[in-house]
Amino acid sequence: MKKIKNWLLIFAGCIAAQAVSAQSRPPLSIDLNYSIAQPFGSVKDYANKTSFRGWSAGLSYMLNDRLSVGVRSGYQDFYKRLPRAVYPDKQGDVSAVQSRTLQVIPLQATVGYAFTPATSVVIPYGVLGIGAANMNYEKYWGEFVDKKNSWQFMVSPEIGINIPFGQYSPVMFNANVRYNYAPYKYNEITSFNSIQGNIGIKVHIH
Amino acid sequence: MKRTMYLLSAVAALVAMISISSCRKDPLKDMTDEESRIYITNHDNTVDFTSYSTFSIVDSVAVLSRNSDSAKKALTTYDKQLIASVTAAMKQRGYTLVDKSAKPDLGINLTRIDNSYTSIGWNPGWWGGPGYWDAGWWGYPGGGWYWPSYYTVYQVNEKQTAIDLFDLKNAKNDKFNVIWNALWRGSGVWSTNNVDPMVQASFAQSAYLSKSK
Repeated sequence: MKKIKNWLLIFAGCIAAQAVSAQSRPPLSIDLNYSIAQPFGSVKDYANKTSFRGWSAGLSYMLNDRLSVGVRSGYQDFYKRLPRAVYPDKQGDVSAVQSRTLQVIPLQATVGYAFTPATSVVIPYGVLGIGAANMNYEKYWGEFVDKKNSWQFMVSPEIGINIPFGQYSPVMFNANVRYNYAPYKYNEITSFNSIQGNIGIKVHIH
Repeated sequence: MKRTMYLLSAVAALVAMISISSCRKDPLKDMTDEESRIYITNHDNTVDFTSYSTFSIVDSVAVLSRNSDSAKKALTTYDKQLIASVTAAMKQRGYTLVDKSAKPDLGINLTRIDNSYTSIGWNPGWWGGPGYWDAGWWGYPGGGWYWPSYYTVYQVNEKQTAIDLFDLKNAKNDKFNVIWNALWRGSGVWSTNNVDPMVQASFAQSAYLSKSK
């Protein structure tokens, strides 16, 4: 009798587990986003224009219903052209039209946490990205470039929402706001700070 | 099957997004010749420019190409315009043009540098060497030029024009101190039409270069 009860419990457990797995999405997901970024601080002094040339992409794996780990990359291009001006320089006084550019390519490991269960209509979440960023600094004096490419530590906390296209859909709308910080120093840039808005999709693929 | 489709569309989207990244805003793409040019001026900040009254200027322009030994004197339309514009700018700053035989306080050398073929640097170190405007032209055989340490060497492949103003009044050990210099770099620096605005820009950023101050 006791044996039968145990078997029933095991069966029940298996059915329950199956039901849960049918409801949740495959753990591996990919996300692709269009990015807009606004520089702050010394980067804003360098090139104050909001960048509409960017993207962000990531791969993440759900460890459980809430917690995920992953990797991500992206691209952002900052640009600003200043009218002709005279710049006192160590090389004398230089009259030039300056075109200031900075391209940032982050490569980060991420830890994400969903604030609501996977079954929610809207899933707010938070992500912390830690890694490196390739900083490509190019300041054109007229047609002559002052150039430096380097890697820098970068940390990027982010909050956002996922809205699944249907309750069990593996495809979700994705929107988030990310803050990027890198202790990047070169010429007039004393640290890298930007707020980035991302919009895109997240697809659970496997 | 459905899953494969998702995967493929995701990869396609990724490729599309990466291609956006190559659409980086290229600073050189929409740059005019005027915007491409830079005007660099150097000066000796220990010099009192009001202490000079007269100047003289070379009667042609030295052209450097390929290497330092092949400097040639030229007097093209561009060169005539260059001499006229620099002379006018100096007069405007209160200096009086005199013949080089009349012991001017200041001398002006003009040079075009063509680095299109080999990369000869703008190097004041050899610039005073033979084949260039030698001190003998100014009536000081055996003399030479002295470029103070504030001059920086540029090493580039391009056409440039340089104006050098030096002190003929206070020679040190037969060396003439260059007290002001302008160097133009970029597209169109060898175009006659651009000479006047380039001279004016160079003088405009050198307000200290004046008889009256």
